Amino acid sequence: MTDRRRINGPAGTTIPPIFEDTSNKEDANSVKGRTRAPDAVRKMFLRTGVTPTASGSAYLEYESSAKSGVSGIKLSCTVHGPRSLPRSSPFSPHIVLSTHVKYAPFATKQRRGYLRDPSERDLGTHLETALRGAIIADRWPKSGVDIIISVIEGDQDRASSGPQSDETWDMMNVLSGCITVASAALADAGIDCVDTVAGGVAALVQGPSEDTPPSVVVDPIPSEHERILGACCIAYLPTRDEVTNLWFKGDLPASEMDLYTKLVENGILASASASKVLVDCLKDALA
Amino acid sequence: MSTTTTTLAIPGQLLGSTSKYQPGPGTHIHESNLYASLLGSVRIVHPAAAPTTKPTGPVKRLTKLSALTNQSSSSSSSLKKQSSSPDQLPTISVTVSAEDNHHNKKREILPEVGNVVLCKVIRITPRQAVVSILVCGDTVLEAEWQGLIRVQDVRATEKDRVKVYESFRPGDVVRAEVISLGDQANYYLATSKNELGVILATSEAGNTMHPISWKEYRDPVTGLTELRKVAKPY
Repeated sequence: MTDRRRINGPAGTTIPPIFEDTSNKEDANSVKGRTRAPDAVRKMFLRTGVTPTASGSAYLEYESSAKSGVSGIKLSCTVHGPRSLPRSSPFSPHIVLSTHVKYAPFATKQRRGYLRDPSERDLGTHLETALRGAIIADRWPKSGVDIIISVIEGDQDRASSGPQSDETWDMMNVLSGCITVASAALADAGIDCVDTVAGGVAALVQGPSEDTPPSVVVDPIPSEHERILGACCIAYLPTRDEVTNLWFKGDLPASEMDLYTKLVENGILASASASKVLVDCLKDALA
Repeated sequence: MSTTTTTLAIPGQLLGSTSKYQPGPGTHIHESNLYASLLGSVRIVHPAAAPTTKPTGPVKRLTKLSALTNQSSSSSSSLKKQSSSPDQLPTISVTVSAEDNHHNKKREILPEVGNVVLCKVIRITPRQAVVSILVCGDTVLEAEWQGLIRVQDVRATEKDRVKVYESFRPGDVVRAEVISLGDQANYYLATSKNELGVILATSEAGNTMHPISWKEYRDPVTGLTELRKVAKPY
């Protein structure tokens, strides 16, 4: 369905003009590799209470990559509610959770429309699953809560002119951010949760040359690696030691079962790092 | 009141064992340990100082069986030792206080069974009065919740003689008690107590009226009386 009520931008890609790098090519290549340790996540900035009109809100920003033109992640989350359900909905003895993830039109290189596309709905469903395991739903009967996340910047390499190989890896990073930021906003809104859920991503990446064995890294940036073979995004409750959502994608050799568990372990590691930021942020909000 | 504000808590933080504390609002139990479920400050209320606390959740009506088991359990525990009884444990709760919250807004609360609410009558039918709940306990609600006072819940006696239009009129402010979470849209309310009923009414002429009896309001200007289910003044 096309959106006919607004003046839409061009439907296809609008790639800004790319000028040839004045600096030499070797310099650009040297920044290409990963600058962090394999088990280190990017630096994060998280703050609650940024939107005064919402019941709870939070803002999350990931440090942008060392390579110029690669944007980080910027997410803004608002929580509205608990509020009364619409008249038409049936009786619910617990809180009704609804999650909306929307990319800003300018968040990615491929311009996004105003209507939610399937990938955004998919992110919303994953987020709902992740949060449902953390919320104590029966504390709020007959009420609903809306969790709305705007992706302001969507973790993409804008400098490369070619089409993105696969957007899923970016979506995974965005989802892990969404989980962390929604958890902070829920705590800010005063909705009962069993724990502070946090998201993390681990990936199996191809080494710089073809004959080196693939390695497992956390918080991958696609532009920093030659090729990503598989990744998993995890929503993790640190004090309960439980996983509420697991999203796995990629092409892994079926013979190596260790790889799967290793990816999940590293995903949990990344979630635990995000959780530290989350806990510090919530403590700051109280002080 | 010997409340002690000790520390700040974030959701999922361990507060203590269930053998040491009773769970209050903002906490939950997992594997016989108490954890915080809200972001806020921890309050511990000792039972000696705690006044007869209002039940926090929906209260089950006492059946004869449950009354019997309660009695036997309380008598047996009092026989054993005073401190082992769950009533003697301090209650631990996590509250989001307004001064902690930097943007100084109140936390939304929901009407619960047993709460006394103030509401405004929206429309009446022969079977029920539809009201909008404005205040729950002492807090003004942010969201709008709809309530229903059915004709059988208006008063405790002579229920079959009750007529809704002789009890409420649209625009009246009513003090009522929540008796059920109701159906998908409405909370069910009752005014079947002396101190519940219409507390503010305007006459057909548009003047604020005075209560003159348990079922009448009088307009001070025109001198006419109108029928209402009048709340007994405190």
